[in-house]
Amino acid sequence: MRKRHPQGRSRLNITPMIDVVFQLLIYFLVATNFALGEQVFRLDLPDRGGASMESDPFVLEEEPLRIIVRSGGRDGETALVSIEGPYPQPNDLAELETFLRNSLEDRGAALFRKDHPVMIVPSPTTRWEHVVGTFNAAVRSGFRSVVFAPPE
Amino acid sequence: MSRLHRRGMARIEADLTPMIDMTFLLVVFFVLVSQISEIESVEMELPKPVPSASAPPPEESRSVLNVLPDEDGAATGYRLNSTDFPLGAEGIRGLRQELTRLYDVQPDLRINLRADRRTEQRFIDPVFDAINQASSASNRSEAARVNLVVIVDRESPDA
Repeated sequence: MRKRHPQGRSRLNITPMIDVVFQLLIYFLVATNFALGEQVFRLDLPDRGGASMESDPFVLEEEPLRIIVRSGGRDGETALVSIEGPYPQPNDLAELETFLRNSLEDRGAALFRKDHPVMIVPSPTTRWEHVVGTFNAAVRSGFRSVVFAPPE
Repeated sequence: MSRLHRRGMARIEADLTPMIDMTFLLVVFFVLVSQISEIESVEMELPKPVPSASAPPPEESRSVLNVLPDEDGAATGYRLNSTDFPLGAEGIRGLRQELTRLYDVQPDLRINLRADRRTEQRFIDPVFDAINQASSASNRSEAARVNLVVIVDRESPDA
């Protein structure tokens, strides 16, 4: 090291540097997404009680489109979906989504409005992933009112 | 080094005390946070719809309700935040009371529902009922709000 300061003692105060470094560290920690790829579906639970809901007697209740979902195949790994009513039956969740998407009012078939209630009816042994998958298909295709029915 | 100092050269001192203070604070913070997140997120395989219409979790008050997974699609119980409840009518009653208490404190509470992808619906549906009844019992005007927690692949583009 060269003799730059022959007289006097020069001190390097590194405290401000450390402060700044930690500020940066905290900034990056906060900016980092901690959730490891977890995402959510937002769902408003309808009241199943019925009695406490005030309903307008002059409004015709729309019959919900009921989608029945079961787990089948080897080890229950396959979602078996069927739609109640005179509709073409989908073989899997992708076909269900295609049907639902094409059945909306702004599409070719124009069977339903977007706020038409869709009811997902699982069986007691349906796997959660298939219930969520069906919900996902309904939401992705554009339906806004999707609810879960008690298992049948 | 001491020889240099004796000669009256530049003396560089680093006061490490603030850094150590900060570092310990960070260590304590991460220890606490990792414990909390361990309690909240039970080890399980979440459903993974592809492609998914799900969204990143919103910033709002929420409680985490885990359906504790067991072998072959069964469940061993429920865990709301850090309280465990058994399966069956008694556990659901306890769950409902705890949820009612939470709703009284925080009317705009959201419930993050985490369940294993293999868990059967008969273990999950009672939870919906419990949330619904707790929401009605605490005189809230709006419907009970639930977030279904899923996992998505970071790599797969969300269509």
